[in-house]
Amino acid sequence: MALTRSVAFRKLLALPPDVRRRLWSSAVSVTPGKPDIYDVVCIGGGPAGLSFASALKAHSATRALKVALIDAQDITTSRTGNDGDAYSNRCSSLTPASSRFLRKIGAWDHINTGRVQPYHAMDVWDGVSGSKIHFDPRRYEAGSDYGVVATMCENGNLTAALLQRLQALTTGDAGAGSVCDILDKTKVESIELGPQPETEETVDLSQWPIVMTSQGQLAARLLVGADGANSPVRQFVDIPSHGWDYGQHGVVATLELEQTFAADEVRTAFQRFLPTGPIALLPLPGNKASLVWSTSPQHAAKLKQLPPNDFVAMVSAAFRLMPVDVNFMLSPDMAVTPSEELRWREPATSPSSTGLPSTFPWITGVQEGSIASFPLRMRHADTYTGHRVALIGDAAHTIHPLAGQGLNLGLADAEALANQITYGMEHGMDIGSSWCLDGYNSERWAANNAMLGVVDKLQKLYSASAGPVVWSRSLGLEAVERMSWVKGALMGVAAGAK
Amino acid sequence: MSLAEVLRLPVALRRATLTKAFIPQPILASRAYTPTFQHLQRRHGTTDAAPHTTSSSVNHTEVSHFNALASSWWDPQGSSRLLHLMNPLRHRFIRRCLAYDDRDEAQKLRYLDIGCGGGIFAESAARLSTTRSVTAIDPTPEVIAVAKRHQRTDPSLLEAGRLTYLNTAIEDLPNHDDGRYDIITLFEVIEHIQRPSPFLQSCISHLKPGGWLIGSTIARTPVSWFTTKLVAEDLLRIVPRGTHNWNQYIQPQEMRDWARMQPELSTSDGIDWQVMGVVYVPGVGWRQVKGSEAWGNYFFGVRKRWDAE
Ligand SMILES: Cc1cc2nc3c(=O)[nH]c(=O)nc-3n(C[C@H](O)[C@H](O)[C@H](O)COP(=O)(O)OP(=O)(O)OC[C@H]3O[C@@H](n4cnc5c(N)ncnc54)[C@H](O)[C@@H]3O)c2cc1C
Repeated sequence: MALTRSVAFRKLLALPPDVRRRLWSSAVSVTPGKPDIYDVVCIGGGPAGLSFASALKAHSATRALKVALIDAQDITTSRTGNDGDAYSNRCSSLTPASSRFLRKIGAWDHINTGRVQPYHAMDVWDGVSGSKIHFDPRRYEAGSDYGVVATMCENGNLTAALLQRLQALTTGDAGAGSVCDILDKTKVESIELGPQPETEETVDLSQWPIVMTSQGQLAARLLVGADGANSPVRQFVDIPSHGWDYGQHGVVATLELEQTFAADEVRTAFQRFLPTGPIALLPLPGNKASLVWSTSPQHAAKLKQLPPNDFVAMVSAAFRLMPVDVNFMLSPDMAVTPSEELRWREPATSPSSTGLPSTFPWITGVQEGSIASFPLRMRHADTYTGHRVALIGDAAHTIHPLAGQGLNLGLADAEALANQITYGMEHGMDIGSSWCLDGYNSERWAANNAMLGVVDKLQKLYSASAGPVVWSRSLGLEAVERMSWVKGALMGVAAGAK
Repeated sequence: MSLAEVLRLPVALRRATLTKAFIPQPILASRAYTPTFQHLQRRHGTTDAAPHTTSSSVNHTEVSHFNALASSWWDPQGSSRLLHLMNPLRHRFIRRCLAYDDRDEAQKLRYLDIGCGGGIFAESAARLSTTRSVTAIDPTPEVIAVAKRHQRTDPSLLEAGRLTYLNTAIEDLPNHDDGRYDIITLFEVIEHIQRPSPFLQSCISHLKPGGWLIGSTIARTPVSWFTTKLVAEDLLRIVPRGTHNWNQYIQPQEMRDWARMQPELSTSDGIDWQVMGVVYVPGVGWRQVKGSEAWGNYFFGVRKRWDAE
C-alpha cells in the first residue's frame, strides 16, 4: 500500500504551492514508509467538515493542533456561490443557532451576504384539510436574532466562506504555528490500523487509524468522519447506521417570482403538506426562490422531464390546486399540458378550500439546469464516537428535508465536537480518547435523535390523505394557531434557539 | 497532644490516637466502623511499619495491591474510571492555586507527580501547553511499566524531556537546586502513606521557592467510610476491595495544621492555602461541592514560601 517515493514526489509537485510547501516540509521529516502524524484528520470538506476545522483553528486552545482535511472533490478551486444572477439549487436554511456559530468562528464575515436571504415568517398549511398555521416571530420576540426565523444560503456560498476563513486562519502572520493541510482531489483509498511497534521502546501506533490516500499516509490521533451519508469512516469503525428509505425523492430547483423583493423586506417561507409529501418555497434575494418538493419517485421523474414552463405550472399547481388535481396532472393519463390545465383550474379553485395564503407569490420561471432530485432517507448511526474516531454531519445522521435541518444539525455537531476538543486540550486529554469524545456523543446523539424522531413523525402524520389522521392533524394545526405561546415555543424549536 | 505530633507518630500508635481523638462517634457510625477495624488489623500484620529505621514512605501492602490493578489503568470501563473522571478537576484546582501567583505566563512549569500510578495525571499534565516537563514517580514497578507502555501510544509524549517516569520512592529521588519543581502533585496518595509527615516534608524539599504542593485525598468521616469503603468497594465494586485504608485518611484541618507547623510553607487562607471539596454523583460525574471537604474527597494546595531554602 505504501507509495514509492518517486510517485509520492510527483504527486507532491502536482499540488498547489502552499499545500506543497507544507506537505513537503512535513514529508521530509518523516521516515519513508512511515505515516505522517496528525492530531486531527477530517475526511470530508462539506459544511460539517469545513466548519469543524475552522472552529478548531479559530480557538486559541486548539489552533496549534496539526489538522488535515481531505476531500475527493476539488474544493479549493471550484468556488460556487458568486455566479451572477444564478442561484445554486443546493440551498439550506441556516437557523439563528447556526448563524451564531458561524459568526463565532469568524466565517460569517466571508459569506457573500448579497446572496443570502433571511426570512421572518412562515406559512404552513395542510393540503388535505386546508387548516393552516402562520408563524410570525416578530410577535414572539425570538431573542437576539430578532425576527429572523432562518437565513437561506447556498451550500456553495457557505463552504466557500468556510474555506476562506480556514485559509485566513492558517496562512500569513495570523496563521503562524497553525497547520491545516487541505488535501482536496484526494480520495481516501482505505483506512487501516497502524503497524505494531518495532521495539519495546518505539512509538506504538497500533491503535491509531492510518488514512491511506493517493497523496500518502496520514496517522490520526483523532479521525473525524465528515464524509457524508455513505461515510467511509463510519464503515471503517463498523458503526451500524439504522433507518429507512421514505420511498420519496426530493426535487430541488431555483425558481423565479413575479415580484422582486428589496433586501430589507419582510420575507415569508411557504410549506404545504400534500399526501405525497411536503412542498416548500423558500425565499432567495430579489425575485428568486428555492424549491424543495418531496414526492414519489415516479412524480419526481416526471417533473424532471417537463419543459420549463410546464414545470413552473406544475409547481404552482402543487401549491394552489386540490391534491387530487395535482395527482391527476402528474398521472400518465394526462392529455393536456400542466400549463393548460392550471390556466383553467386555478381560477376555479377557491383559496379558502385549499388554505392557500393570500400572500403566496406567482411563480414565473425556473432557472435553467437547476432541477434535480435525490432519494430521501432517514439514517442514524448507533453512536458517533469510537476509539480515535468521531462522526459529524450526514455521516452521523441523514434526515428528511421537510424541516430543513440536515445542514444545521451538522453545524451543531461540528460546534459541539470542537468545544469538546477545546475542553480536552485545556485538561490535557488525549483528544482521540473516549474520555474526551464521550461528552460529544452524549450531547449530540440524544439531541439529534429527538430531532430525527420529530421530523420523521411529522412526515408520517402528513403523508396520510384521509380519515382520522387528517381530521386530528387539522385540529392540531388550528389549535396550535390559536395558542400563541405554543407557537412561540415551536418557533423557537424551528429556529434552533437554545 | 497536637495534631502535628500525632501525624509524626508511628502508624500503629497514630491509628489508636486518631481513633480516640478524632473519629466522630454517633452510635450508628461507631457500629459501622467495627468490621473495617478487623479488616485493618489483619492487614496491619503484613505491613512494614517500622517507625524510624525505614527512610521510605512506601507501604508494601499498598505496592502489591497496585500491582494487581496495573492492567486496568487505561481501560475506559475499568476500575480506574473514577480517577479518569476526576482528572479534569485536578487541573481546574491547580489553575485555581496558580491564579493567585503573579508569575510570568511564558515561564513553563515543571511538574513532579508523586504516586503517578498508570500516568493518568502525568500524561495530561505533560500535554498542556503551559508545561515544560513532567517527572512522574511511583514505587510500584508494574504500574510504571504500564505507564511507560501507554506513553508510547502518544508520540507527543515521547518528545525528549516532556514526560519521564521513574520507578522510585520520593525519598530516593535525587534532590538538587536546579532540578526542583514548580508543582508537586500527590493525587490520592496520602491515604496510602503510613507516615505522612516525613513523607510530606521530603516532598516539600523538592519544591522551588513559591512552588505549590497540591494533592487530593479523603477526609476520615463516617460519610467517607460509607462512600469509599462500603459503597465504592463493597457494594458497587467501582473500585477494587482493599484500595482504601480508611484509618489513614486525613482531615483537611489536620493537613492545614500540619502545614502551619512547617516553616517553609506559607498558609494564608485563600491565597497560599487552598481547599476544594468534590463529590462523585453517579451518572453525573465529579462535582465541586462547597464544604464537602469536611466529609468527603477534597483537594488541598499549599505554597512554599518565596524566601524558603
Ligand atoms: C441534492 C441534495 C439536496 C439537499 N437539499 C437540502 C436542503 O434543501 N436543505 C437542507 O437542510 N439539506 C439539504 N440536503 C442535505 C444537506 O446537503 C446535507 O445535510 C449537508 O450537505 C451535510 O453536510 P456534510 O458536511 O455532513 O456532508 P456532505 O456535504 O455530503 O460532504 C461530504 C464530503 O465528503 C467527501 N467525501 C465522501 N467520501 C469521501 C472519500 N472516500 N474520500 C474523500 N472525500 C470524501 C465528499 O466529497 C463531500 O465533499 C440536501 C442533500 C442533497 C444530496
